[in-house]
Amino acid sequence: MKLAFYPGCLVLQRMPEYELATRAVLRELGIELEIVQQAACCGAPVAESFTADWVYLAAYNLALVERMGYGTVVTVCGGCTNTLTRAACALQDPDVRAEANRRLETLGLSVTRQVEVKHLVRLLAEREEDLRARTVCPLSLRVALTNPCQVFRPGDVMGFDDPVEPQSVRRLVELTGAEVIEYGGEDECCGATLYLAEPDLALAAGRRKLEATQGADLLLHSCGNCQLLLRRFQRMIVRDAPGLRKQALFLPQLVGLALGLPEEELGLREGTWR
Amino acid sequence: MKHPTACIQCDTCVTVCPVEKVGGHAIVTFLADPDATDYSVWLCTSCWRCQEACPAGVNIRELMMEQRRREQAPAGYRAAFESVLACGLALEVPQEELNLVRAAWGLEPVRLPPPDLVRSLLRSSG
Repeated sequence: MKLAFYPGCLVLQRMPEYELATRAVLRELGIELEIVQQAACCGAPVAESFTADWVYLAAYNLALVERMGYGTVVTVCGGCTNTLTRAACALQDPDVRAEANRRLETLGLSVTRQVEVKHLVRLLAEREEDLRARTVCPLSLRVALTNPCQVFRPGDVMGFDDPVEPQSVRRLVELTGAEVIEYGGEDECCGATLYLAEPDLALAAGRRKLEATQGADLLLHSCGNCQLLLRRFQRMIVRDAPGLRKQALFLPQLVGLALGLPEEELGLREGTWR
Repeated sequence: MKHPTACIQCDTCVTVCPVEKVGGHAIVTFLADPDATDYSVWLCTSCWRCQEACPAGVNIRELMMEQRRREQAPAGYRAAFESVLACGLALEVPQEELNLVRAAWGLEPVRLPPPDLVRSLLRSSG
């Protein structure tokens, strides 16, 4: 089975290990990904903050998927998932679709049907039993997860899991044998989107999470934004508090380890991530 | 900014807002108190919790986005939008450089969006 893959700006430009681990785990489940060539920014929250025309940027990306001949596109960030899903719904309105197609015409593209946008968590959750059967290296780790907020809400648009207290990430982590620690901040903000507006507040949000998860061996993310703030920017948070340092993995890296995949295929430098 | 007539100022949005939990004040501060001035619509993280919880069904996120379009954006948002306008992506990384990194990770090369794409897609309608 082949599906289209839309990594989004952040993962494409900064986090190849997330794409690598996603591909490795899905390959085990018989799913190959074909990257959407010439994909642009999904449209939100950046473009959406400046213009109501953001939906045409999203429509461009959906039209690329349609031209590739796929009915489903796999995403790995919450923001892209949310934006593309909302756009796919908005494009069901004949007027919005007609205007999108006017703008796409010179590019030789069009939107004619509704592309399904599926975040990796949803794709894996649908294959929970298959994953369970393939788990050969149960992990002895204590994991603090953060739910990718934009994957589940608004509930009536996203239509997946409980919009307020989603359980699918927890279930997938538990499949690996790892213990999910409860720290009360599973649905609290990683701080990444705040960073664009107020960096100090963003880092305070990240610090709050690091302080609350000291009992965990590692943080677990299913969105490039969470990983950006809590891992890549972590050095700015722990500068005056080195005791707060914490390893952070992407969901498919953890799942891949439990499936017995080699660390290098998951974008993990051998032995150094523990 | 006009206070939405449907809002009953019940405070539910404030209690679920993750920004309020870390000491920031986003649009929910204004919804709960129309006289508030110490809030910024740019602090919203688009987590949709307020809208999911609102008993009056206020489309809080759309209100927030409409207000953003009326205001001067913070530097981080401006820089990201300028990059999107210039190259279609939130960061400007040359295709060649990106594909060298991808090759090192064993990932297939990518083609970036055509120049001028975003300006043509975002041109005002009509």
